Amino acid sequence: MTPETPESTEEKSRYRRYLELLTGSLDDKKRYRQVKARMERLPENYRTAFDALERYIMYFGRADGPGALEMYEDLADLFEQSAANATPIRDVFGDDPIEFVETFIQNYPVGRWMARERERFTRAVARAAGEEDRRAS
Amino acid sequence: MGKQLTEMLKGTLEGIVLAILAGRSAYGYEITAWLRDQGFSDIAEGTIYALLVRIEQRGFVDVEKVPSEKGPPRKVYSLNAQGREYLQEFWRNWAFLAERLDHLHKGDRST
Repeated sequence: MTPETPESTEEKSRYRRYLELLTGSLDDKKRYRQVKARMERLPENYRTAFDALERYIMYFGRADGPGALEMYEDLADLFEQSAANATPIRDVFGDDPIEFVETFIQNYPVGRWMARERERFTRAVARAAGEEDRRAS
Repeated sequence: MGKQLTEMLKGTLEGIVLAILAGRSAYGYEITAWLRDQGFSDIAEGTIYALLVRIEQRGFVDVEKVPSEKGPPRKVYSLNAQGREYLQEFWRNWAFLAERLDHLHKGDRST
């Protein structure tokens, strides 16, 4: 992409605001495409594993929202490093791939909606038990 | 590595990694390799990486990107003051747990 000239920026950004109402953030899409492009350059077995991981994350509805792009970018870092070190796929994922991915996504807001619901439930029980409504940390 | 050991390790892995980083700065692959050398053979690279992401987010480590001959730049992690404080808390809790379990093991129920 060519850099925008200063005089076009404001007009474009207004146009983009309307457009992005329909399309979602274009910057996010660009970042996501960059991650995909990085993964395309990996050896085939890493690509296969990444695709499976992505499908798993999307299937549970955690593929977008706050922190999702950081998550994909961090995953891309991991996969690139592992491929560069020729780490076997099994050593990256461990014996239990679910365990790995669930631990991993807890690091990002998109992965934490389950945690939020658990917290809500914990507080509701505390209220029902007549205890002070303390925020679980 | 047995299932029981793996489960036990889960609760202590964060402390272990912080303790390694207290000795010297390291990048993810070095940490996994070191753990494997020490007999923790089942630890996944991805698990260590997820943990490093977390301790970075919690502000326990400083991160520096260092160019690498092969592949992308490496993130080198070093323990900062906040991390050291947290590690001390980990060792206190560990000492408590180890001491209590030792009593239990020796059959000394009086304490």
